[in-house]
Amino acid sequence: MKIAYSHLVSHIQDSPTLEMVSDSLFQLGHEHEIEGNIFNMEFTPNRGDCLSVNGLLRDLSVFYNINHDQKVYTEKLDELQIDFENLSQDICPHISFLKLEVDDIPHTYKGCLNDYFVDLNLNKNNFFTDISNYISYETGQPTHCYDANKVNGKLIFQELNTNQEFETLLDKKINLTDKNSVFLLNNEVINLAGVVGGKSTSCSSETKTVLVECAFFKPEKIIGKSVKYDIQSEASHKFERSVDPACHETVIRRFIHLVSEYSNIKKMSFVSYNFGNIKAHKIPVDVSKINQIIGINLSEDEYLSYLLKLGFTIENSFITVPSYRSDIETQNDLAEEVARVIGYNNIQKKELSIPKGNISSNNDIENKLRYFLLDQGFYEVVNSPFVNSCSDTSSIRVDNPLDSNREYLRTNLISSLLDNLIYNERRQKDSIKLFEISDIYTLKDNQIDRIRRLSIIASGRVGHNYEDFSKKINLDYLTKLFKKSLPGENFDFQILNRDQTKTKIKNEIIGCEVDISNFSTDVINYKEISKCPDTFVQYRPISELPFSQRDLSFSIKDHTKCKFLEKFILEYDDELLKKVFIFDYFYNEKNTEIKIGFRFVFQSTDTTITEMQVNNVMDAIIEFTKKIDGISIPGLN
Amino acid sequence: MSSNKDILPPELIKDRGSLHPINHMKDSIMSLLVSFGFEVVDGPEIETEEFNFDMLNIKKTHPARQMHDTFYVEKKSNLLRTHTSPVQIRGMLEKKPPLAFISGGKVYRKDDDATHLPMFHQIEGIFVNENVSFAQLKDLIYKIIYSLFSESVQLRFRPSYFPFTEPSAEVDILSKEGKWIEILGCGLVNPIVLENCNINSNKYSGLAFGLGIERIAMLKHGITDIREFYKSNLDFLSQFK
Repeated sequence: MKIAYSHLVSHIQDSPTLEMVSDSLFQLGHEHEIEGNIFNMEFTPNRGDCLSVNGLLRDLSVFYNINHDQKVYTEKLDELQIDFENLSQDICPHISFLKLEVDDIPHTYKGCLNDYFVDLNLNKNNFFTDISNYISYETGQPTHCYDANKVNGKLIFQELNTNQEFETLLDKKINLTDKNSVFLLNNEVINLAGVVGGKSTSCSSETKTVLVECAFFKPEKIIGKSVKYDIQSEASHKFERSVDPACHETVIRRFIHLVSEYSNIKKMSFVSYNFGNIKAHKIPVDVSKINQIIGINLSEDEYLSYLLKLGFTIENSFITVPSYRSDIETQNDLAEEVARVIGYNNIQKKELSIPKGNISSNNDIENKLRYFLLDQGFYEVVNSPFVNSCSDTSSIRVDNPLDSNREYLRTNLISSLLDNLIYNERRQKDSIKLFEISDIYTLKDNQIDRIRRLSIIASGRVGHNYEDFSKKINLDYLTKLFKKSLPGENFDFQILNRDQTKTKIKNEIIGCEVDISNFSTDVINYKEISKCPDTFVQYRPISELPFSQRDLSFSIKDHTKCKFLEKFILEYDDELLKKVFIFDYFYNEKNTEIKIGFRFVFQSTDTTITEMQVNNVMDAIIEFTKKIDGISIPGLN
Repeated sequence: MSSNKDILPPELIKDRGSLHPINHMKDSIMSLLVSFGFEVVDGPEIETEEFNFDMLNIKKTHPARQMHDTFYVEKKSNLLRTHTSPVQIRGMLEKKPPLAFISGGKVYRKDDDATHLPMFHQIEGIFVNENVSFAQLKDLIYKIIYSLFSESVQLRFRPSYFPFTEPSAEVDILSKEGKWIEILGCGLVNPIVLENCNINSNKYSGLAFGLGIERIAMLKHGITDIREFYKSNLDFLSQFK
């Protein structure tokens, strides 16, 4: 909600600066952005009472002296005779109507009404709707204006099981379904209560006689309606968060006063229906409890002075909560009020000591498995559980999926890992080793069953070092590797079907999926090599662009130059050179010659890399190495 | 020329894998909290409305319970937990105060855009004892944030609203760019929640806090797009060794 700084400060005697008001609002818990001279407020859902200029002023009154200078019509009002029946009094326990007729319709505004439209850059609608919108901005109470001449017949408020079309005053046609709180005129819906009025009875620029409805609706009956019918409604935003049930007459008298500033009022009458009492909530004065909750030492006088400034009243050792503060019920609520006034940042911290708890060992097996897999070159992944199809009757269906591709919960991890593997193969990765540990949820005898699983997948080269580069991952390799380190555990690796991957790559895909509960002693006894890093590396953005590779092999006769060459190439720095490693090494004892092969991987972060860019880097490397005695590049002229 | 003794093969660099950065961050924070005295508790990701909402004082009408915010499963019989708080409810029902629990894991909300994912991770903690105060909560939060970032980091507490805590606060830290960044939510456990768990709220009070692991990991690693965590791209994962 946008509230102009000038609209607030015009009621504050102390004339605080925009920054001072901003700081005060933050201290009180009213988050906002400053846009020029406008506060774009983001109120917490419990503070519906602050959704107005007056609401914020009530809170700011703990810091500033507020002028209560908004004029209202003070004369006696005639009683309105209206044919109205409330068939859902529990939903709308308080409702008032004002019928008012004016001589002329003004075309320009002045004072606060003009400031409202100009400062907030709002579009005008028609006179009565404009007054209504301003009143809601100033007081927080939405009102609805009917063209009184279009309301001919009995007006009924009722919660109905409806299934009918309704055209809003914004020219939008919606199909009302299920239960809705509505106003009916001759059995036709003319207003979706608390959300939006109907076109058939709406005011126009010609309207001179208005019927103003001012109501309190139970928030739970309004919540969700604007989302359901896709209607942007400031009224429903306020009703959902609760409005002040005791404000009707003041609001209506303010409405009359504003109208009277623009036009002669020919006739007016007012009626207020209360179908239930507005019960004042009372809480005992207990400053020691407040001090205990916050951890401070406040005197009772100081405590009560804060509450008085916030509009609470104190009588006979009881605190009466103002009617607009539906969020205050307990001592903890009052403690929060006091803490806000003091300022959370001004409350001194107090040493907290927690007795040492039991160290859980549930995750020992899981953590050992993770570090064992890291030692074997596997990367941990985390996948979303949502999948597009049910594998069998045990699949759990999401009632309200994000889309049809995410309608079920997965019943295995390996399918997700297979997707991850294909994703990486498409990005030219030639050695892929992944694992995931996660819960799997399925239906078993109509009950939800939870199993913790480990799944592993691997394909391509065993590794990138010169011993592993030429070896391919296969069933035998993985089975032996895992048996060697964890002989007692059964991973049950399988060759996975590559048909569904739709790639030209022929490497075998090996995978397994095992219940964590199947692992035991060997895993616990495993002495891991990897350790969790205790620092957090700075991430370098990755590139989705294709990469380019070059291999370069050297013959080295002067072995003392070998380390020099390695260091030069492995540490070669170029922004396009993403990775370099030794993929081949061979010492020929017969001719005492070393053959060493380097692979260079090039990739750009912003453009597809060109042959020329790669050649430029390679040429620079070759030129340098050619000058080293005892080193040659076979095949190079 | 050189002799055979000069021949030392290149270092054989074994490819090592890495933990997923979210799990690494979760482990780090959980270890920190365990060192403060918290005990780790675990709970299911598929929950009942009772544990996910009712017991936590989240009213039937709260917007979070709507179909557009929460994933329901199997004809609304259950839901995907929207926070890790139900684990603490289960913990409080099982044990008597004083108690100090933490729980971490996946949570689900019906969001999917550049800054929100339908699945993300949280860690929450609760401490219930006699005379637990907001001032003590502040002490704990300072310790957590100083440990996660540094003692030079500036932080501020803002009043906020959570149905399960009262008073409630959100905590921001000041970035190097001079912008306040929300880090965690916390508060004193609402006495209604304690009573729901058969804990005498006249005798005991509690503090609770919760933080989003993705948010902390993004700040610590300098990651700007939350979606990177879940693409399983080896170029991404291999940076976190």
